[in-house]
Amino acid sequence: MSYYFISIGGTGAKVMESLTHLCIAGLLPNDERLYIAAIDPDVGNGNLERTSAALNNFVAFQNFSVGNDTPLFKNKISIVRPFPFNPTGHDKTLDDLTEYHQHSTGVGKLYAALYTRAERSVTLNEGFRGHPSIGAAVLAKNFGDGSNRTTLTAQIEKLIGEGDSVKIFLAGSVFGGTGAAGLPTVARLLRDNLADYADRISIGGALILPYFSFTPTDIGDELFARSENFLPNTKAALKYYADRENLFDATYLVGDSVMTAVKDFSVGSANQRNEAHIVELYAALAAADFFAQPTKKKIFKYICRHERDKFSWNDLPTSRERFVQFARFIFAYVHLVKPVLNNLVSGEAAAYKYPWFVDLLGGVKVTDPDVVNFSFYAEAFAAWLKQLETFGGREIFLIDPAAFESNPARIVDKKIFSALDGVQSKITLHEVWYRLTEPLKLESSVTGFGKFLRRLYEACAA
Amino acid sequence: MNRTTRTVIKIFVIAATAIGCIAAAYYVGSLVTGHALATASDNMNYSRWQEKFFTLTRATGLLNGLCALGWFIAARFAFTVDEVPGAGKRIFWAGICAASAAIALGVPHVYAPMLGIKLNGIIFALFATIFTGAGFWLVTIFTTPLAFKYTPPLSREVLKLFSRR
Repeated sequence: MSYYFISIGGTGAKVMESLTHLCIAGLLPNDERLYIAAIDPDVGNGNLERTSAALNNFVAFQNFSVGNDTPLFKNKISIVRPFPFNPTGHDKTLDDLTEYHQHSTGVGKLYAALYTRAERSVTLNEGFRGHPSIGAAVLAKNFGDGSNRTTLTAQIEKLIGEGDSVKIFLAGSVFGGTGAAGLPTVARLLRDNLADYADRISIGGALILPYFSFTPTDIGDELFARSENFLPNTKAALKYYADRENLFDATYLVGDSVMTAVKDFSVGSANQRNEAHIVELYAALAAADFFAQPTKKKIFKYICRHERDKFSWNDLPTSRERFVQFARFIFAYVHLVKPVLNNLVSGEAAAYKYPWFVDLLGGVKVTDPDVVNFSFYAEAFAAWLKQLETFGGREIFLIDPAAFESNPARIVDKKIFSALDGVQSKITLHEVWYRLTEPLKLESSVTGFGKFLRRLYEACAA
Repeated sequence: MNRTTRTVIKIFVIAATAIGCIAAAYYVGSLVTGHALATASDNMNYSRWQEKFFTLTRATGLLNGLCALGWFIAARFAFTVDEVPGAGKRIFWAGICAASAAIALGVPHVYAPMLGIKLNGIIFALFATIFTGAGFWLVTIFTTPLAFKYTPPLSREVLKLFSRR
């Protein structure tokens, strides 16, 4: 069995970010390989960039020798190239891509009637600008027979040809541009392209309903997504999906009753860096749930929370224990380990003070890319978690946000470390330090920086 | 081996080493220079000198043992490392080591005249070597709680030597 996760558009990229953190924490149901693909014309999108950074870190972590009997880094991933797949190319307009405007016949006239001049002439470097009609036309033309046919579809065909079954999960918004256009189009094209192997593929989708809003600032007549259109767009999209029940084998609808205001509006590109949201985490958990289900089981999932303005562990369908252990592991790293590595590099610290360094990191160069990547990832995880915990003025009771700060990631209140999830445990920072120095028998294949991370992770177990 | 078992074993090692050091200091001191010192002391024969010398080694050894135990108890139960600057504690270890040296040299210096026996430089050197060297430095290398295991100087090298064998 192989898993594919395809993110479509900016919201899909943010779901992928959450999924990457879940993968690294070992929260996917089993240890199958996960292939990750992204479809986004806005290749420089800030959200996608952040996700790509986390993904590339994870690819590097897979070389760490942490052993096989641990959830840490257990879900191996492969990034499907080109990443992201850009269906529009650079500086192209709808006119350039479809070329229907050159037709003086009925097709050309119909095209002119369906699309406004602005829709036809806007460059698509920053996505479909909240206009799924543009996206649907572009994707239908370029995903089906474009370069991705030789990568994504061909790769899936190869796996199926080797006797493997494949579960494909798509995630994107139904209210914006790229996601709304891409979800049904890509699902349909995949079904058509892989029709010969219908019994061995299963397609699931997280349809993200509106959960944020924004106020555009000073962009003149430019074409862009408008949050007042989100609900009508969603209504139309849901009607479409209701009429096409067979598009997905499993459909997950995820949304929020409160629209979280986006701080800095941006049409797209690098400036579009929206904070992480619990809706995206739910959508990532939907992917995990889909991968855990038996193949070809038709499911519609509905999940709700216990209290209107409050999220707690009871509302989250995931392993609390494993998530909290991973959070402890990251914060122990940024609090106890990272400063030591920095001090050792700068010569400010003597190694004798840190027995775990002498015993486990003796032969590891602390300036190695592996170590630097992990430190970078720890910062990214803390930032992601902080954003999840502090959104929309609602109370989130997952990891106590009072315990830590992000950018740079650090523990603010050491006492809260032992009760990160609100439940007092015996795992204090001192206990982690102590455990790190105690003997622990591991497989002989567990070596280097991976061995150290494995030990730290084990030390954070309740 | 769990942490409690390890703690009990280490306390036992500290106690056993203290007893061993007392025995070593007593026998080596008696053999090397006991006869000469007994003769030099007033109203003293060798067996009486040995009796007084044993009292002296016992007092010094017990106080030294308390130094090693004090370090162990502090490192195991009192020190908390929840911050990078809290690690190491070598200054504290050095303070107790200095106390151990002061005991190894000071106790015989003060207590021997009270017991009416004479000592020489060999006994002082022997006490410093056995009680501070073996009874404190060496025993702390093997018994220091793991969170501070490389705090005693040269512990890394010594432990490596033993782990190879």
